[in-house]
Amino acid sequence: MLILAGIIISTFTAPENLPTNPQSMMWLLPLTAAVAIAYKAMKLPTITAGNFLKEVVLLFVSIAAFMAVTAAVLFAVAWVITE
Amino acid sequence: MRPMPRRHPERIYNQMDFRNKNIFFLAFVGLASWIVPGAGYFLLKEKSRAIIIFVVIVSTFITGLYIGSIGVVDPVGAKICYLGQIMTSPLVAGIGYISAGGEYPVYGRPSEVGQIYTAVAGLLNLLCIINSIYLAYAGRVAGEGD
Repeated sequence: MLILAGIIISTFTAPENLPTNPQSMMWLLPLTAAVAIAYKAMKLPTITAGNFLKEVVLLFVSIAAFMAVTAAVLFAVAWVITE
Repeated sequence: MRPMPRRHPERIYNQMDFRNKNIFFLAFVGLASWIVPGAGYFLLKEKSRAIIIFVVIVSTFITGLYIGSIGVVDPVGAKICYLGQIMTSPLVAGIGYISAGGEYPVYGRPSEVGQIYTAVAGLLNLLCIINSIYLAYAGRVAGEGD
């Protein structure tokens, strides 16, 4: 048990190896999901499984879509300036 | 004239004797929410809300620590991030105390991602603290746009 606890604690003492590439942007998706779940858990007047899931998915997709559109606009602006 | 239907039905805590505007109770709810994420909702008998909030905030914070190590909680080198992180729980100060000596250096993308995850977890908990105090005060969930 003590060894297991030591192993678990040691995983938090060294950072993971995350490469700096476009795929690493995918780390924003779990964070977006966390924000959507926490926000809807706070704001829904009554929480039922179906309604909660629907609202969370809707907010998650809205946030992701807005970020994708923002990225596309910024990419287009950068392309216009640099070309 | 027919009354307008409510957008969000009000949740009245008739059966709860503690639904009063006692400042100490509101402070207690806020403090409990800060110490343990979701505890404020638990005190208000909103158990499903409390469990969801606890699981989401704690798992987001732990994911940040796993990615960037405890070095992402840096009260000396990253003070602004630390302000967000400490909102998760006062226990974060203990992690800050351990990592403040610079024994757990972290740079680059793991540092960025870890700091963002842990700070966002703290800011989400700040939102929960405010929302649970509002719930204790008003007796209903603040709807979107309130």
